[in-house]
Amino acid sequence: MTEVSLRSLQKLYGKTAALKAISLDVTHGEFVSLLGPSGCGKSTTLKCIAGFEDITDGRICFDNKDISRKLPEDRDIGMVFQSYALFPHMTVTQNLAFGLEMRRVPKADIARRVASAMEMVQLTPYADRYPKALSGGQQQRVALARALVIEPAILLLDEPLANLDAKLRDEMRGFIRDLQKRVGITTIYVTHDQNEAMTMSDRVVVMFDGEIAQAAAPEDVYNRPASERVARFVGNANILDLPVAGADAQGTTVTLPGGTPLHIAPCAAPARAGAPDRLRVMARPEQITLTGPGLGQLPGRIEKRYFSGGHVEYTVATECGALFVTGPTTQHVSEGDTVGLSFDPARLWPLPDPAPERAQ
Amino acid sequence: MKRFRASLLIAPVAALIFVFVILPYVTVLIMSFRATADGQPYGQGFSVEGYQQFFSQPYYALSLPSSLALGMATTLVCLILGYPIALHIATASRKWRGLLYGIVLSPLLVGIVVRSYGWTILLGNSGVINATLRNLGLIDRPLPLMYNNFGVVLALAHVFLPFMVLPLLSSLQSIDPAIAQAARSLGARRFTIFRRVTFPVSMPGVQAGCILVFVLAISSYVTPSLVGGMRVKTTTLLVIDALIDQYQWPFGSAMALILAVSAGLVVLIFARLTRMKWT
Repeated sequence: MTEVSLRSLQKLYGKTAALKAISLDVTHGEFVSLLGPSGCGKSTTLKCIAGFEDITDGRICFDNKDISRKLPEDRDIGMVFQSYALFPHMTVTQNLAFGLEMRRVPKADIARRVASAMEMVQLTPYADRYPKALSGGQQQRVALARALVIEPAILLLDEPLANLDAKLRDEMRGFIRDLQKRVGITTIYVTHDQNEAMTMSDRVVVMFDGEIAQAAAPEDVYNRPASERVARFVGNANILDLPVAGADAQGTTVTLPGGTPLHIAPCAAPARAGAPDRLRVMARPEQITLTGPGLGQLPGRIEKRYFSGGHVEYTVATECGALFVTGPTTQHVSEGDTVGLSFDPARLWPLPDPAPERAQ
Repeated sequence: MKRFRASLLIAPVAALIFVFVILPYVTVLIMSFRATADGQPYGQGFSVEGYQQFFSQPYYALSLPSSLALGMATTLVCLILGYPIALHIATASRKWRGLLYGIVLSPLLVGIVVRSYGWTILLGNSGVINATLRNLGLIDRPLPLMYNNFGVVLALAHVFLPFMVLPLLSSLQSIDPAIAQAARSLGARRFTIFRRVTFPVSMPGVQAGCILVFVLAISSYVTPSLVGGMRVKTTTLLVIDALIDQYQWPFGSAMALILAVSAGLVVLIFARLTRMKWT
């Protein structure tokens, strides 16, 4: 098991900064996802760790040893590519044996390790097939086994599920996570899919514009986002901009339109510089409850109602703007109905001011 | 009914192939079994004289293995020269690729007669190369660069190089670049990646290019006759001699068929030896 640390990692393409001095520590056996929109630098980060991209400045350390100047073939990494990148002219067995042959492992050991890796990903019946004769999910598992059979220091995955259909993707998500836990290998996983990042990771690293916006446990990224941008990228977010009535050690009191006060617990959000008389508060759709008209803290009118199987999604027009709310299917509310919205103050999350560059 | 209507779409091509490929072959096949005659292209009745004539005279019979060897040598030279070119173009930036493509294709823009004649100017006994070397005092007698197999293979390789490079290129360009990265991440170094991954994965292109160049080289007429002169007699040259100069149609037809079948066999054996189970 290996510790990975990125120290002020910087990557310039000409004058454009793809990575602006990012630092990140990944501990033994941790599963970390790099999550962000395309162009945010997550794939560049992975390529730098793998050694396929030269870094402009900073250091990459495995177990405190600087490996920044090492060639990819000397870094002892296992990598899974979006396209799987299986060797098309080799059978499953030959694909798995390749890395071990490069390491000059004795023949008998190769056979044993390949067989056990094949069993691990349940591909033993397909040992002599060529990649072309395998389904997408099977190819994915070969790629995974090929990366793991060499027992690398770390495992890197570059959007490995992007080419699979939805159902298989869900299946593979659990499969990869279970396998990673069983092997206990330090893993860095790149994805643009927040669901994937949430369900699989010990820690999610949200990246925007070549910088780390937040690195925290999935629950924290979701419930306590570091910025409005993170809040909006990770799931649906209702942002209410509310006037501040007062503040003390127990938190801040804001007022909803109509005069109902809401007490927000203090948080790590930095003090508001620009407009100290207002506070931006995030509420997730499932944290707002629909109640009868006249009840709750904020009146509203149902504009849209979408049934989506497990729950119902509503767009509710309020004086704070249109809010996105989800509710149970047992609730009978129709479009046009007047309702009340009820907030649980303990679950509202105050956001810092949008960064200046976001305001433009 | 629907299938029948759809099959009508290939009718024009089928008709074309029938009239210009199958019928001529049948005609040649029949002609090769005609009796020979004096003062006439062919005589009455049928015989195997044409085939006997070929195999009984070493001058003709031996032209076959040497023609096949000439074709293989040309193919090999094209492969050795063409592979690095294709590899280079495949990995070149988009900006350069167009130019490099143009350079590779440029021999095709000049007629084959002109290109072959160009080689005679370079390789002749008083040609550019020999004259220069002599003036520099490096040689007393001209080097035998022309009127031999060396000159013919060189000129043929130049003429047919694009037919090797293009299939190689399309094969190399279709390889997922992540495959080489995967090999690196597994610990393979550059040459190992080439030997164990890039080259084997480009085999469809190697196969296509080799077959194309071999078939073209073996059936070429202009280049061997210009650069080879009277000394290099390929079977193709002998076929033309028999048909046009000696007016022996059955003999010429028999030779043409023997050459076609032999070349076909070589291609078949090559395809079997390089068979890819993974495509």
